[in-house]
Amino acid sequence: MAFAGPVLLKRIPDDPAKRKLINIEEYIATGGYESLRKAQSMTPDQIIQLVIDSNLRGRGGAGFPCGSKWKFLPKDLHPRYLAVNFDESEPGTFKDRYLTDYDPHILLEGIAIAAFANRISISYIYIRGEYHLQAKILEKALEEAYARGIFGQKIPGTDIVHNCYVHRGAGAYICGEETGLLESLEGKRGWPRIKPPFPAIAGAFAKPTIINNVETLACLPYIIEHGADWFKAMGTPSSAGPKLFGVSGLVNKPGVYEEELGIKMSTLIEKYAGGIKGGKYRAAIPGGVSMGVLGTDQYDAELDFDIGRKYNVLGLGTAGVIVMTDKTDLVVMLRNIVRFFAHESCGQCTPCREGTAWMHKMLNRIVAGYGKPRDFDMLMEIGLSMGSMPGTTICGLADGANWAVRTFLQKFPEDFKARLKSDQVQGVTLDAQAAAAV
Amino acid sequence: MAWIVEDRLKQYQPTRSEPYLTAEIRSHIEQKYFPRYPRKQAALLPLFHTIMHTYGYIAPQAIDEAAGFLGISRAEVQDAVTFYEEFRLQPSGRYVVNVCRSISCELCGHKAVLDKIRDVFGIEPGETTDDDKFTVFEVECLGACEQAPCALVNEDLHGCIKPDEFAAHLRTLPDHPAAAGH
Repeated sequence: MAFAGPVLLKRIPDDPAKRKLINIEEYIATGGYESLRKAQSMTPDQIIQLVIDSNLRGRGGAGFPCGSKWKFLPKDLHPRYLAVNFDESEPGTFKDRYLTDYDPHILLEGIAIAAFANRISISYIYIRGEYHLQAKILEKALEEAYARGIFGQKIPGTDIVHNCYVHRGAGAYICGEETGLLESLEGKRGWPRIKPPFPAIAGAFAKPTIINNVETLACLPYIIEHGADWFKAMGTPSSAGPKLFGVSGLVNKPGVYEEELGIKMSTLIEKYAGGIKGGKYRAAIPGGVSMGVLGTDQYDAELDFDIGRKYNVLGLGTAGVIVMTDKTDLVVMLRNIVRFFAHESCGQCTPCREGTAWMHKMLNRIVAGYGKPRDFDMLMEIGLSMGSMPGTTICGLADGANWAVRTFLQKFPEDFKARLKSDQVQGVTLDAQAAAAV
Repeated sequence: MAWIVEDRLKQYQPTRSEPYLTAEIRSHIEQKYFPRYPRKQAALLPLFHTIMHTYGYIAPQAIDEAAGFLGISRAEVQDAVTFYEEFRLQPSGRYVVNVCRSISCELCGHKAVLDKIRDVFGIEPGETTDDDKFTVFEVECLGACEQAPCALVNEDLHGCIKPDEFAAHLRTLPDHPAAAGH
């Protein structure tokens, strides 16, 4: 454990009044694009091996080892594309936006290094449509980088000219799913694809494509600069390196804070986010709503990629911590989460399209006071049967909805049971009422 | 006799003689976006962002013209356009106020913002004021949870919203959004 201060956020001061957008001159003056120069003196295989050795795991939510993903690209098949996943639509997640608000060039340098190592022809930065300001910031930063020959030039040692473009999305959470992103990039509706074939074999425009999150790429310049051992010295054996943690909800100082992986959630909230606001800790979501909820006795959970196994949540996800207190109505919060998934379900797979809609309707009824005891069992039944983990849907959106429902029901059953009346409603049994309505 | 004598397509889809895809829009997409992708279809999102920015909504005729322009069928264009939240098929007010309703914003009081907008402007989510100045929508997470509750007004993000100040700010907005601000 050797976290010695901000790495990714090093150009963003703690004092909000001192923060500003770093242009390319200031970026270069503080050591920017040195790592790109160093990377270009290495061979691609050396760089890929370095990334594997550093144990860099994806920071977009799935935590897949970055170097291993790069190795899936078939040798000698060209052109190859890099898709940068800047869709960031998971509720509670805002780290990529925060990084780009002030230091866009760190992403561009990471893209250039990844492109060099993987012989990429075109990198598409898929940014969500709602990030109007960030798209403009990136366009400006790209102009500056093109002017300095970072992009638009032949990759040294090859005949491949590498270009980098911003591709704006138009408001769809499912376009953050890697194959949904590729469909949206190609100008179609963002319906995820069945895997196999995996994007590394047939991705954008049916060509080999790697997809990486913004923060994953932003780690690359520092791994090149300081090496794999420095990176692994931070965090835990399974979860190496620094991480951007977002804290929001009922805390005094919500924001993005950088620490090493494995830090306890209580430390993050108390030391960085000014502590809980207006109540006592009751529940928290560790990494974006897809992960599920941590219970009242799980306040000290370590925030690393093992959190799923140890604390019965889906995983660390995007490390966007959302804090709730004893003043929060958890049933209403679950309804909010399920409404999100019902709204954002692309509709392609029946279990997700119907399942999220049913769960939404059931939770609406429960919040309105018409919940039945069998609703509890039905919510659990749906929450165990839809999704790519049970094997009934193409992508993992339904799994996110599952885990949210499952963990809320398992960890806070009293809140729900208190809202579920018997089958009697207003003196008339619900079944008779339904029969009368037909 | 069951002869169909009305042209139902023209009846239901109002058309106008000037194209929605003007020469300016076409050359902008052809020069800036077509070279970036191996297929013209991939320029669909940039094209419709430009159409949304210019007209504020997507008319059926615009979908027809885009199909020819991108070299794909009308069904494929309609398929893509109806999928995305930002591509609206109906006109809206000059200022579109998107209030976030996801978990952090609900925890931090987004309902108060919507209540204030209803009190001051008289509109619920999905409705437009009578003078066509404001439309309010509820949207999912805007990615600014540390500034909850937040809202997007056209292209500007407003964070840490206090309902009274926000409503007051909206009333001071000029009647027509400036080209740069829109």
